[in-house]
Order: sequence, then structure tokens, then C-alpha cells
Amino acid sequence: MLRTRRGLFTVVGREDSYRNTAALFAARGHEAYVAELQTQGRNARPPLPPGTQEIRISSNENPLGPGAKVLDAIVGKFPEAGRYPFNSTPSDANLTAAIATHFKIKPENVSLGAGSQEILRSAVRAFTGPDRGLVTAAPTFENPTSLAKKLGHPLTEIPVDADFRLDVEKMIAAAPGSGLVFFNNPNNPTATVHGAKTVTDFVARVRKAAPDAVILIDEAYHDYVTDPSYATAVPLALETPNVLVARTFSKAYGMAGMRIGFAVGQAETVKRLARFKMPYNISVFGVVAAITALNDPAHIEAERNRNLEVRSFTAKALADLGCKCTDSHGNFLFVEIKRPAKDFRDACAKQGVSVGRDFPPFEKTHARISIGTMDEMRKAVEVFRGVLKPVTTAGR
Amino acid sequence: MALSRRNFVRTVGIGAAGALTTSFIGARGRENFIWSALEAPLEAAAPGTIIISSNENPMGPGPKVLDAIKAAFGADGSRPGRYSGTARDLIDALAKKHGVKPENIVLGCGSTQILRNVTHNFTAKDKPLVATIPTYEECADYATLMGNKVVGVPLDSEFRPDLDRFADMARGAGLVFYCNPSNPSSTYVGARATRDFLAKLNSQSPETTILVDEAYFEYVTNPDHETFIPLAVQNPRVIVARTFSKAYGMAGLRVGYAIGHADTIKKLAEWDAGSGTSSMNVLALQGGIAAIQQDASFIVSERARNTAVRDFTMKWFADRGMKPADSQANFMFVNIGRPAKEFRDACAAKGVRVARDFPPFEKTHCRIAFGTMEEMQQAVKVFGEVLGKPATIAA
Repeated sequence: MLRTRRGLFTVVGREDSYRNTAALFAARGHEAYVAELQTQGRNARPPLPPGTQEIRISSNENPLGPGAKVLDAIVGKFPEAGRYPFNSTPSDANLTAAIATHFKIKPENVSLGAGSQEILRSAVRAFTGPDRGLVTAAPTFENPTSLAKKLGHPLTEIPVDADFRLDVEKMIAAAPGSGLVFFNNPNNPTATVHGAKTVTDFVARVRKAAPDAVILIDEAYHDYVTDPSYATAVPLALETPNVLVARTFSKAYGMAGMRIGFAVGQAETVKRLARFKMPYNISVFGVVAAITALNDPAHIEAERNRNLEVRSFTAKALADLGCKCTDSHGNFLFVEIKRPAKDFRDACAKQGVSVGRDFPPFEKTHARISIGTMDEMRKAVEVFRGVLKPVTTAGR
Repeated sequence: MALSRRNFVRTVGIGAAGALTTSFIGARGRENFIWSALEAPLEAAAPGTIIISSNENPMGPGPKVLDAIKAAFGADGSRPGRYSGTARDLIDALAKKHGVKPENIVLGCGSTQILRNVTHNFTAKDKPLVATIPTYEECADYATLMGNKVVGVPLDSEFRPDLDRFADMARGAGLVFYCNPSNPSSTYVGARATRDFLAKLNSQSPETTILVDEAYFEYVTNPDHETFIPLAVQNPRVIVARTFSKAYGMAGLRVGYAIGHADTIKKLAEWDAGSGTSSMNVLALQGGIAAIQQDASFIVSERARNTAVRDFTMKWFADRGMKPADSQANFMFVNIGRPAKEFRDACAAKGVRVARDFPPFEKTHCRIAFGTMEEMQQAVKVFGEVLGKPATIAA
């Protein structure tokens, strides 16, 4: 019976067959979906020309998903769909333990989140207040920024530097009196990364300038970094009070739809964060999916290489069109298109290519483009070539 | 079954790979495939362990839900790599089911998230939470975490709340948590009495919000039974919480929701940014839709199955002089004449896992969920062995 289950996804997930399948499904599926939405009077993009498949490169997702081993593992847990994640085998505690083993740390150094977004939200709730605000960058991942605004807690947004990197000096200067310093490395949407030495120095100086502030280093794109000077801040978080590293299974692990993230840090810091954790926040399927993926490091290595190849191709193609990308260490590019992102986005959408949203203060000049499959990016580049003709609406 | 086979082929079996899959499924048989996964339900958990500690549905979700989950992988298995973005479809399906508008619904990662969200929004330093003792702990734990006061309303000897006293104690409260049927006591307050209680509370303390937790709604067999969803939709001070974790058999998926007045729901949705999309997984969202759309007979037969097991288990205890509280849920609360921990540990040693402590009754009472009939027939043998021995600590 096990062979039955495995058989299904080995067959469906075969490299040579799924490309056709995906194309067929996406083309039919999207049209049908849009038509259905329109009959309900709901807002939807206009139907694409027949036979055009939507290329979704707007959300920094892994276009291949989690892989056959993970899907098999999920199907294997169908008998336990009715169990709470603490009663299933493996349980959510087993996932915490597996993450601890992965980093050679203790379970008390780990807290799970429904995506790293829950970690980020919990950090804002736990560490900021009406008299101790959030220090973050602009542009950066907005989740903490939006929550701090909603809670009415003080907010300092430090613009990125001329190279689109987090401005370390200005963030340190802003840290005194704050409750939380959010440091997204690599930074979404600008795609740049800081090396290990810079991060270590940053942490030491923030600790000195603001001993009570917690530093949250979001390493969502860790697995995609190719800069040799980069290293994870996990060891730093373990040896330094008030430092947390957030990680996610949403990016290289291909599980954005499964909602699994976690924080790592000293037990005391993790405990303060975990008070705000939703109980049983990871599904029974998420638990088994994440454990299966952690046991398959070769899969992540292959995904890093795949992404690097497609990222290099896409950056070069954009450069050939006269559009310069920042130095990307994620599964996305931040590219100077020299026109409003909205114009670019709308024009691409008409041809079935969805790119990233506005990222102020660069919404008049830059777009964020996620890295799809090579096949998708070849098609997307053709669309970009048509859309990125010389600007005729200068000064808009 | 024929219909579900067609659905499966239509959703998963598209294109070249699909053709292979289809013939493959055709050869094996669709039922065979699903039920092969279910043939040894608890073996993986811990060989032979009977888990009756968490008020779960031991049968799990229906086959159509499992089909939908598999379909949610997408034709090429890449869909779990994409962010949800489909929360609205589940909200629409729920709105249709309950005859309300989408703006009356907010989703949660289990009703746990709903309970936290409501507690966060409606309690404060000077606005306590009022709930019975004991009750499901989520709201009280979260209020305590926030440093907000929790006021406990004692239950009578039948494990029912004195509703007049409850209403009086709730004057000036920020939030009343009203779980009905009540967990862990399993008792149920009829619809008429609940309606009067809510009206009294509303007039005595108009600023107090009431969260009616209907987690066990589908298991009630008392004819004086109705949902308070229609009231919640028109009264900004009443919110109803529901879950897919109980009768729908989907505790592992994490799907719950709240229904209320549009203004109240807006407030809840704002606190949990992007209702549904940020904390709920795609398999849960698709499974939830399938659960609602499956034939109504699923819930009817699950209720009947549970009722039969409930009758059997409660009679077993009553016949031995341990009359449980009058259960209208998928669990019971019973005086075992000894500390719950002692009973729990002794049962665990014999492969039966029963529930945690529920103060202030942890020295005398235990909560036992209803597994399958077979499981309960096994479990009562263990209970007989354990309870046959005198308590080591005087209760």
C-alpha cells in the first residue's frame, strides 16, 4: 500500500511529464477561475488570451513546490488528519526537536510559527509597546511595520543605502529606546545581503546602544544566498541575549502554502516570544512535511543551484534591456525599470505575467520580480522585452 | 463513491501525467487507495495507543475532504509552494452554508486563533474576562498572559452554570466566554435558556461582548437546540465561534472561524492581518470547502456514531456507580473518586490516553473523549482494571 501512495506522486511529479501538465492545467484553470469570479461579480483580472498560462512571479515563491517526498509524506498522514498536531506522529514537538537537531541546539531554543509571519507579529507584540518602538528599514518586509502602525507603537523606518542594502549605521543610531530592531537579511524587496562580519558588528553595537531592545534577524531567504561573506546569524543568536533569528519553510523549501516558520535564539528570548505563539499553529501535514524536508538537504542544495541559474539568466536578460538589478541573494530581483512599477505590472499582467507590488519609496522606478522556473522566466523575459520599450511617459 | 472518483480524476488527472495516474487509479480502485491509508489508523501514532484525550473525531475527515487535499497539491504538485490567497473561497462557502454574508465571517488557524483574537480585542486591564470554572482554557490563559483579570463562575452540582448568577457576575466585563456544550464539563444549556441569558446579559451590561463557542454544536442531540449565528450577525456584542476540529474530523488541519456583526468581524480581521491568508494552510482551506460541500449525511452519521458510543460509555460508568455529567458532546466528565493524574497515568500505562487536569476538579474528575466503539470497548476494560483498584490518595 505504501507503494501505491508513493507510486502516485512519483508518477505525477516526474520532471518530463509535469511541464505539459502544468501548462495545460494553468491555462484552463486560470480562464475557468476568472470566468467563475466574473459571474460572481468579483474583481478579477481580464481573461488571458487563449492558451496563455499565468506566470506568477509576484510573491517570491518556489515554483516547484516541496517535491515528491514531502507530498508522499503528507498523504501518508491522511489517517491522522483528525488528530491535533500534538497527538499525531510525528507531533509538533517532534518538529521542534528536528529543527533543534538540524542546528545542533536544544528544543528550548526554538519556537514554531504559522509561517515566519507569526514569528514577526509575535515579536512586535512581545517586544514593542507605546513607549518602545520598532526600528526597521524602508523598503523591507512590511509585516512588522504594519503591525506596529496598527498597534500605534512608535516606528522608525531607515531608508536603505545607495546600494539598496540595509543602512547599518543609521539603524544602530536609531536603536536606543526601541523595543525591537528588525533586520531582514537578505532584505526583501531589495534582495541585497550583509556579510557575517557586518551582522556580528551590527548586533554588538545595537546591544551596546540599546541593551533592552530585541534584534530580530529575518533569514527567510537564507538558502538562496550565494555571497561567500554571508553566514547565518543562528550561532550569534544562541550566544547573545535578545537576538532572534526567524526562518521559514516558505521559500527554498517550497511550502509557502503550508505556513511553517520558526525562531531560534537563547531560551530566555525564545520564551518571551513564545508567550504569544498560537497553540497548535502547525498542521499535522505541516509537521510531517517540514520534518521530511529537513531530512533531505540535497533537495535544498538542488533548489539553490536551480534558482541561481535562473536568477543569473534573468538578471542578465534585464541588463541587456538596459535595466539594472541590485545584487540579488534571494529568489527575486529588484530591478530599475525607470518607470512606475504599476505601469510595468499592469502591462505584464495583460500578457499573463504577475510581478511584485509597489515598494515605496521606489515605486516610481523599481519592480520586484520573483524567480520562476527557467521556462517561465524565458517567457517572462519576452514579455518584459515588449513592455520595457523606451519610456514614453517620462515624468509621470 | 462514483462521484468522488470522478472528482479525483478531474482535479488531479489532467494531461499526460494525469492519464497515467487515471489508469493507475482505475486499476487499483479509488476506494482502495483512500482506505489503504486508513487501514491502521493509530498504528503510526504509537502502536495500539487509544487516544481519547483531546475530543477529536476518531474517524477523521470524509473521503471527499481527503480528495480535495490531494487535489490541492495541484496537477504538478507545486501548489503547496504558493501562498494561500484562496481564503475568500472558504469564507464564501461558509457564508452560503450559514446564510450570512462574507463580511460576517473571519477565519482562524483553528478556533484557537479566534478565541485569542476575541480575547485580545475585548478584554483590557479594567475589562475582565468572565467564564465558568472549569472551561476551555484558551481565553483565560490569553487574558492572563495580557495581564487582564479573569473572573470564574462556579458550576452547580450537575456541572451547569447558574445563568442568573453568571449574568450578574458579568456586569462590566469586557468579554464573556460561553462554551456550549461546555468543555470540559460536557453539559449543555438549551437554546431557550441561552437566549434568555444572552438577552439578560446584553441589557444588564450592554458593553460586554459574548463569545458563544459552538465547537461541539454538531454533537448535540437535545431537541432544544439552535445556533446563535443569526443573533450574532445582528448583534455587535455576540460572536459565535465554530471549528472543523470536532465533528468534521479535521483537528490536524487547523480551521476555525467566527461569525458576527460585520463591524465586529472587521475588528477581528484587522487584528489578524489578512484574515486566513497568513496563518492558514492551503490544504486546510481546500479541505474546509470540501467538508462544507460534502453530503449533509456526513455530520448526521457522525452524530449518530458518537451518540451510540456516548451511550455505551456513559452507561458503563453509571452502572458502576460513577454517573457522568449529562454529556451532549463527544466526551464526558466523570467523578472517578481519585486524582485525574493517578487515573491518567494508570490508563496510559495500559495504552489508553485520557485528558489533562481540569482544576478545581482535578482531584476527583476526569474528562474522557469518545473514540470509536471498538476503542471504547477496549478502553472500558482498562478503566475497569484501573478503577477496580482503590485510590492511592484519598480524594
